[in-house]
Amino acid sequence: MSILDQVNLNDNAPVTARTARPVLNQRSMARFALYVLAVTLTLWIILPLYFITASAFSTRDALYDWPKSLFPNPISFDTMDFFLNSRGVYSSALNSLIVGLITLALSLLIGAPAGYALARFIFPGRDSYKLLILTTRAFPIVILSIPLSVTFLNFGLYDTLIGVALVHTALALPQTILVTSSIFVAVPNELEEAALTLGCHRMSAFTKIVLPMALPGLAAAAIFAFVLSWNEVFAATILTSQNRTLPAQVLGSLSNSSLPLRYAGGFVLIVPSLLFILIIRKYLLNMWGRVVK
Amino acid sequence: MKRYFPLGVVLTLLATLLLSACGDNTAAPVATTAAASATTAAGAVTTAAGAATTAAAGAATTAAAQANAGDIVWLSTQLSAVQENEGFTKNVLNSFNGKVNYIQKDNGPYTDQILSEEKAGKVTVSLLGGLHGDFPPFIQNDLLEDLTPLAAKLKDRGIPQTFLDLGKMGTNKQYYIPWMQATYVMAYNKKALQYLPAGADANKLTYDQFRDWAAAIQKGTGERKLGIPAGPKGLYNRLLQGYLYPAYTGGEVTGFRSPEAVQMWTYLKDLWKYANPQSVSYEFMQEPLQSGEVWLTIDHTARLIDAVKSKPDDFVLAPAPSGAKGLAFMPVLAGMAIPKGAPNKAGAEALIDFISTPQTQINTTRQVAFFPVVKADLPADLAPGIKAEAAAVAAQSSAPNALPSLLPVGLGAQNGDFNKVYTDTFTRIILKNEDIKTVLEDETKIMNNVLNTAKAPCWSPDPPSTGPCQVK
Repeated sequence: MSILDQVNLNDNAPVTARTARPVLNQRSMARFALYVLAVTLTLWIILPLYFITASAFSTRDALYDWPKSLFPNPISFDTMDFFLNSRGVYSSALNSLIVGLITLALSLLIGAPAGYALARFIFPGRDSYKLLILTTRAFPIVILSIPLSVTFLNFGLYDTLIGVALVHTALALPQTILVTSSIFVAVPNELEEAALTLGCHRMSAFTKIVLPMALPGLAAAAIFAFVLSWNEVFAATILTSQNRTLPAQVLGSLSNSSLPLRYAGGFVLIVPSLLFILIIRKYLLNMWGRVVK
Repeated sequence: MKRYFPLGVVLTLLATLLLSACGDNTAAPVATTAAASATTAAGAVTTAAGAATTAAAGAATTAAAQANAGDIVWLSTQLSAVQENEGFTKNVLNSFNGKVNYIQKDNGPYTDQILSEEKAGKVTVSLLGGLHGDFPPFIQNDLLEDLTPLAAKLKDRGIPQTFLDLGKMGTNKQYYIPWMQATYVMAYNKKALQYLPAGADANKLTYDQFRDWAAAIQKGTGERKLGIPAGPKGLYNRLLQGYLYPAYTGGEVTGFRSPEAVQMWTYLKDLWKYANPQSVSYEFMQEPLQSGEVWLTIDHTARLIDAVKSKPDDFVLAPAPSGAKGLAFMPVLAGMAIPKGAPNKAGAEALIDFISTPQTQINTTRQVAFFPVVKADLPADLAPGIKAEAAAVAAQSSAPNALPSLLPVGLGAQNGDFNKVYTDTFTRIILKNEDIKTVLEDETKIMNNVLNTAKAPCWSPDPPSTGPCQVK
């Protein structure tokens, strides 16, 4: 390297730095804004959850104190204990879990093949079929309440968990079908065709090539179905009497209960779906990292 | 392969679950139906035995409860709060000899369940519990048993005739047997007493003194500490129907647009100046009372009980204020009815019998903020909060100028629209500041339409009418 070059380099260096700094500033500003946004959004979600949790473990008196303390002091399990031991909470929580899992299974078993068909095949009436799926969401379930319960009573499905799960599946299906179809669209058709030329059947091409790639997306669709079922109140209330799901059992009564119990109940209602999402989060991140990209 | 191993496991698990749920489902109905018919038969036998012992013993009190009444599904709109529900099921129903499954549902799903069960011809509910206003849809569809013989049997319990008449819903059949009662009373924080206007007695306030008190509190503390339960689920419609309107006009309906009504709304507008602005979100006044946001309020006894129970030394309950026409107050009545085709009718009757015994009625009062409908002397060892409420309720109903104003009678499906007339009027006059007379004229048309549709004659304290009740 000649001296001239070196001089040139030295000359150039400050020039690049000078032009680079505003770019860097702009970038860090954008980054900063992004962080602020992220923190705000996180707080938006976390703060209410935190306050519900803190209040659920506070004493009754502390709840009415002002200013509120940030930490429950002393920590008290009284209201939580009372709530958990009140009649029907455990059994209805178990019911909710079973209904949610059945809903998850049924909506995947029915919805994923439909989504696959929509994604891979062009058949007559495909577009109107897509529209038809959406129209099932257009009927408010409220107006169906009496006919639905009468039908369920006649079929012996009234007040059974499978009955509630069937309705939840019907509610979850449009979403599952559309989500899974977009997941299958994202899996390159060429890979499947290659598998077929290399000796796979349709089924084995699906299980060996498509399914592993679509798995994260399917997991996401499954979560949505489960959470929908877990949170659904109306159908669960009108279709059950003695075998109620957790929201049907406690949601109505919580809104008429005293403040401490509302926090305890809110906490119990939130935790399972949060846990479920945390467990299945790995697949969700995979989906965003791989398939959706 | 390894990748979708977890999915495989999950799916297998789910398939197992699904199958087991299906299996339960196919087997269960047969089993339960068999069990149900068995219990019905047993119920019939045991009650017959119960009746025999009653006759033999001569005391009707607990005889029916001594024989096992079998399984009874009791569907009710009442006692929805977790603590009340727990107290009632664990400490009241547990002494009944029979297995009672007390299911609480909100009014909508409650009505839907009974209508669908009757439509499908598969009734699972044996006993219905609800407020006076919860029963009309069933009566319109002729779904309730006539309980006149049972009412005759319970004659010695001393249920007031006015309550029994309410249970007839304007017919000659006894559709429900009174279960328990409540009402609305005034509640205040003891700290507010220092601002009580001179010469006023907190137990015998007039509405003007009530306003002056609220004003004095605001002047003294710099805060608006009067609370009105005007939130989405607040019961301010009842305060208008059963308290302010009758106290000013002497009725709930007929004087709706009278000069006295205009005077009442002018008063309320004035009062609102001292009300905590959060009033539009208040539903249960026990909460702002306990947090200290509110020092003075009127609400349903069941919505105040938490405050007086947890801090009986801080809060005082007193009769509602009175107006020119008297101390108007609204008794709230809950009743028990038996649906036609009930799987265990005999058991349900035994349960009604048990619930109407003085002992059970007192027990109920201990657990929930509702009071006996039968002749029962409240014991001295009641919790201080309940005792305070009982005293306020008694003082209110026995005041010399007491003016009981009943819940709407015979409105049926129009109940909601009727309430909406009052809440709309409140919103327009108080919150939107519209002209009082114009609003009252507008709402009168709606109110008359509602009453014409329901064909409901006037109820107390409005003077009886020949046709549907109408605003004068």
